[in-house]
Amino acid sequence: MGKTSIRIKLITYFLILILVVIVVIVTVNRITGDFYLAQGLSVALAMGIGTIFGIIFSRSLILRLNKLSTAAREISDGNLTREIEIISGDEIRDLEEIFSLMVSHLRTLLFDMKSVSIKIHETNSALTKLAKKLLESSNEIDITAKSIAKSSEDQTEIVRNTTIKLEGGIKVMDELVNQSAHTISKVDEAIKKTQKGETNARETLSHLELVLKEMGEYAQPVLRLPDKVEKIKVVTNVMEAIAQKTDLLSLNASIEATRAGESGKGFAIVAEEIRNMAENSKQSSQAITRLVEDILTDNKFLKEFLVKNQTDLDKGREIIRGIVQTFGDMLYGVKEIFSEIKSMEEATIRQAKELRSFSDKFKELASFASQNFESTQKTAISTRNQKVEVRKIVSTIRLLDRLSEKMMETQQLFSLPEQTQQLPEKQPEENQP
Amino acid sequence: MKLFVFKSKDEFIGIESDYVYRIIDDLKVTPVPLTPESYTGLLYHRGELFDVINMRLFLGYPDEGSSETTRIIIIKWLNKKLAVIPDEIVGMIWIDDNSENTNEYYHEERKIRLMKPDYIWKKLSELSYGPNKI
Repeated sequence: MGKTSIRIKLITYFLILILVVIVVIVTVNRITGDFYLAQGLSVALAMGIGTIFGIIFSRSLILRLNKLSTAAREISDGNLTREIEIISGDEIRDLEEIFSLMVSHLRTLLFDMKSVSIKIHETNSALTKLAKKLLESSNEIDITAKSIAKSSEDQTEIVRNTTIKLEGGIKVMDELVNQSAHTISKVDEAIKKTQKGETNARETLSHLELVLKEMGEYAQPVLRLPDKVEKIKVVTNVMEAIAQKTDLLSLNASIEATRAGESGKGFAIVAEEIRNMAENSKQSSQAITRLVEDILTDNKFLKEFLVKNQTDLDKGREIIRGIVQTFGDMLYGVKEIFSEIKSMEEATIRQAKELRSFSDKFKELASFASQNFESTQKTAISTRNQKVEVRKIVSTIRLLDRLSEKMMETQQLFSLPEQTQQLPEKQPEENQP
Repeated sequence: MKLFVFKSKDEFIGIESDYVYRIIDDLKVTPVPLTPESYTGLLYHRGELFDVINMRLFLGYPDEGSSETTRIIIIKWLNKKLAVIPDEIVGMIWIDDNSENTNEYYHEERKIRLMKPDYIWKKLSELSYGPNKI
């Protein structure tokens, strides 16, 4: 059916009325020739026809408007199943079409609203879960952050203590390095002294060898002396024997002289003198013997002394050889010690350097630990804020959920056609934080 | 008077020089059994046998043995002969024979006991024989 506006209709109806009036006037005027009658009749006819037309037209309009009004009322009551019948092609049709479009849009809107509310609900559920997880995570982060903060604090303290200890260690290392340098100088001095000692010991040994050689040469006469003294003893024994024999002879001579009487008196004196001489000779011989014995005793002592001296000197030589050997060993050992201490000093310097580097790293670590502590504190605060925000989000979600429910409730107020109600069911609320 | 003086222990004994025959240093004395302790034995000298007396034991002192310087004094008187072993021989001395005690003389502040050979012989014969020499 073609679209016709009311205005055109009205113009058309007016033109038809005018035409009817003109026809009536013309007809009446021809028949009657009365113009006024014709006019009056035409006016009355026009008024009657106009009223009829007006009634019909207005009735048609009111009827359609009432239909729209009824449909609007039903829609306002939530019945969106009502379809608007479009009959004419005038402006009311536009209204009907717009109304129908509006209803269609409203249906779509309600459907969308429903689906949106379901989606909101679903999203809310998911968001709630996420919020819960987020809250749990925030709690865990908070706990972890606190733990990290505590650990960072402890770590900072430990690192500080370790740094102090490292500083102490570095001082000790420096002292060790100084001590090592001092020890090295002392060991160097010891090497020089040991070398000097070894040289002195070698010189002493060579001197001792010389002394031993000379002593051996000097000792030979002393060692030969007992043989000579033994010979002297033999001679003195002979002398003593002669003296004894002489004594005996003189005694017997004096006895014989006595027996000879007065004539033997002179011989007796001679015999007595001889006896005295023999006695003197005997005493001299005995004195010589004693001297020889003394010499022998002294020689024995001297020999023993020489032997002992020789033994002692041999021992001394062995000792000095041992000392030389010991000095050599000492020198070797001291050189080894020097080398060891030198490498120890180098190692100590290296260690001190590494310890210093380690201490610097520890200082950096302390700084990092401090920063870590601050960051962890900030993290804890942020987590706390985040928790507050999450709680806010949760409350917002709840609000949104309530709104969604309200929207659903509102949507429930409207009846929709069957095909538009195929939407997913609302998920039950779970794990509300 | 001329005395031949010898010493035994601390005692100086003097024998008239006429009785002294010889001084020897040969001490090869052969012991004789069942004789007194002071009887040392028999000495063979130049074809004669002599009774040897140890004067130290004879005088009652303990024996101290002999040495290289020990001598034997051979005494002969009348037809008797004897040999004595002193500790030490002093020698011949002249003494004045005007002492009241004819058994003791002093010479250079020494007391010299005069001992006659008969006295020794008599005293020796009075000594008891014992088995100690066996």
